[in-house]
Amino acid sequence: MARKLLMLMHEMNERLQQESAKELLQFDVVLITTDSQQQQQSSSIISSTKHHGLEISRFCFANEEDFVESLQTNNVQLFLTSDKSEASQATQKGVLSALLDHQEASPPSDQLRIMFCEDAIIQPDTGPTPANREAIQGFAAQLGEIRRRFSLADSPLCFILVTAHGSKDSCASSLLTLRSSGISVDEAYCLAGAPRDPIMPLLQPHFTIRISFSDLEE
Amino acid sequence: MSGQAKELKVAPSSNGDSRGSWEEKEEFHQDNLGLTTKPTPVTGRRARKVEGGVFFPKPENAVTIAVSTRVLFRTDREQKVFQQKGVEEYLRYQIEHENEPFAPGPAFPFVKALEAVNARLRELYPQSEELFDIVLVTYNHAHVGIRLINTINHHNLFIERFCMTGGSSPIGYLKAWHTNLYLSADSEKVREALAEGIAAATMFLPEKQTEVSESQLRVAFDGDAVLFSDESERIFKAHGLDKFFEHERDNEDTLLDHGPLKGFLEALGKLQKKFYAKGQRLNCPIRTYLVTARSAASSGIRALKTLRAWGLEIDEALFLAGAPKGPMLDKIRPHIYFDDQMFHVEGAAEMGTIAAHVPYGVAQKHNAKQNTSVGK
Repeated sequence: MARKLLMLMHEMNERLQQESAKELLQFDVVLITTDSQQQQQSSSIISSTKHHGLEISRFCFANEEDFVESLQTNNVQLFLTSDKSEASQATQKGVLSALLDHQEASPPSDQLRIMFCEDAIIQPDTGPTPANREAIQGFAAQLGEIRRRFSLADSPLCFILVTAHGSKDSCASSLLTLRSSGISVDEAYCLAGAPRDPIMPLLQPHFTIRISFSDLEE
Repeated sequence: MSGQAKELKVAPSSNGDSRGSWEEKEEFHQDNLGLTTKPTPVTGRRARKVEGGVFFPKPENAVTIAVSTRVLFRTDREQKVFQQKGVEEYLRYQIEHENEPFAPGPAFPFVKALEAVNARLRELYPQSEELFDIVLVTYNHAHVGIRLINTINHHNLFIERFCMTGGSSPIGYLKAWHTNLYLSADSEKVREALAEGIAAATMFLPEKQTEVSESQLRVAFDGDAVLFSDESERIFKAHGLDKFFEHERDNEDTLLDHGPLKGFLEALGKLQKKFYAKGQRLNCPIRTYLVTARSAASSGIRALKTLRAWGLEIDEALFLAGAPKGPMLDKIRPHIYFDDQMFHVEGAAEMGTIAAHVPYGVAQKHNAKQNTSVGK
């Protein structure tokens, strides 16, 4: 699953290069692991990724307590993991995280689909600090910029907005907030309480970024 | 930037959303009519109450009606931009005109009538989820989303669910949401839906429009290849009228097979019974009509027997014995009339009846015109 993602990002980087030789925006991938067993096999991990042709620019071996610091020192803008607790730890310390979903239907391999979903319940105290808000906005702006390099049809990158519980007006609000942060969404679904499971196999996101839209407020 | 997004403090229960009064909503879209594309200013949590009624029914409990943007609203100017200048220019145009609501399209009166029925249902059954649920399902790119939402608010429509697929097929979503009826301007999509067992019909921009009732939903159906299968039509087309009559006589006691819109009639019937249960039979806001070329004395009998065996009541059955349908439909003034033959759909539209084409059965091979270029 993650492997497909990496290949997609690699492809996107190539296409970005094709569009403009002076392209500065690229997807830069850092592999991080806190599993000590894995760390002992560090050299085999590194050669394994090379073997599979995965473009990884940096490897980071950390432990569970301070992996978030590692993320921060490496200027990681988006942390992808299948571990829920790791994701929430990172979010709490201000690093935007997303869960890699384990889905039965495998998402398409020719288009990276990123889903934005509003967190239904927001606790006011766990939101990111103003400094991180800037970082998140910066990341959003860059993502949006990458998307703009490609045309509307046949893009290797696709943004999806899903409003699970709010009314259409909250969906409109989210669309505008994302847009002002630089992200023009391609597909939008306002569920108004309808169950999400039946349409997940149709949406096929590679991962979901759960945010409260006040994160993007200036 | 001011007033961009609000924090959603609570949310999950689908029944719990409270909505404020209509006056608040007026204020909301007043702000909207400004010339900038500023996000709609929101102070605090917007609330819109529907007198304690259920607002987001679960799809399996509701009668889900999916409409596309081109049938709910008039988008001919935008279509021209798309056709002449391509998708990027089309989206730019849409965003530029974001605060200009679209005008009503052919399905608009039908949707308004569905809402009128919902209002009555809520009065009688405030906790029930058996309501019409109108969903906007469009191939459009989400860039058009703001304009669509602004338009829905401008016309005071109760549409909360929508699906903008940015180009891919919406058929999967129709199935996932147990869609009972899908209306689109594109006959290809309609055919796809029919092939998946979803009742669907193509609507066209009418040249004329007559007034329809605002308090009673009227739905008219053709018989063969709409409510019933096209079995008899096949015989008629292959062997002529005499053979048709013979076949009908011989098979009088055999039920006709069901057609693509039988399920929708059934769904309407279920809602009608809810009104009858509360003594509202004479004042029922849903009325159904069968308008068929069959004749009452002979071939019509089989149709009636079939309906009865299915447990379906139809309020008025009009057997025209081949006479033109136009004048009859003009009397009925349905919010929508379903027919499988373009010839009848066009004839009805000429007289101002809102007609929808069901591209099903053997009559499609005999349709001279293709629908795709009509009425966009």
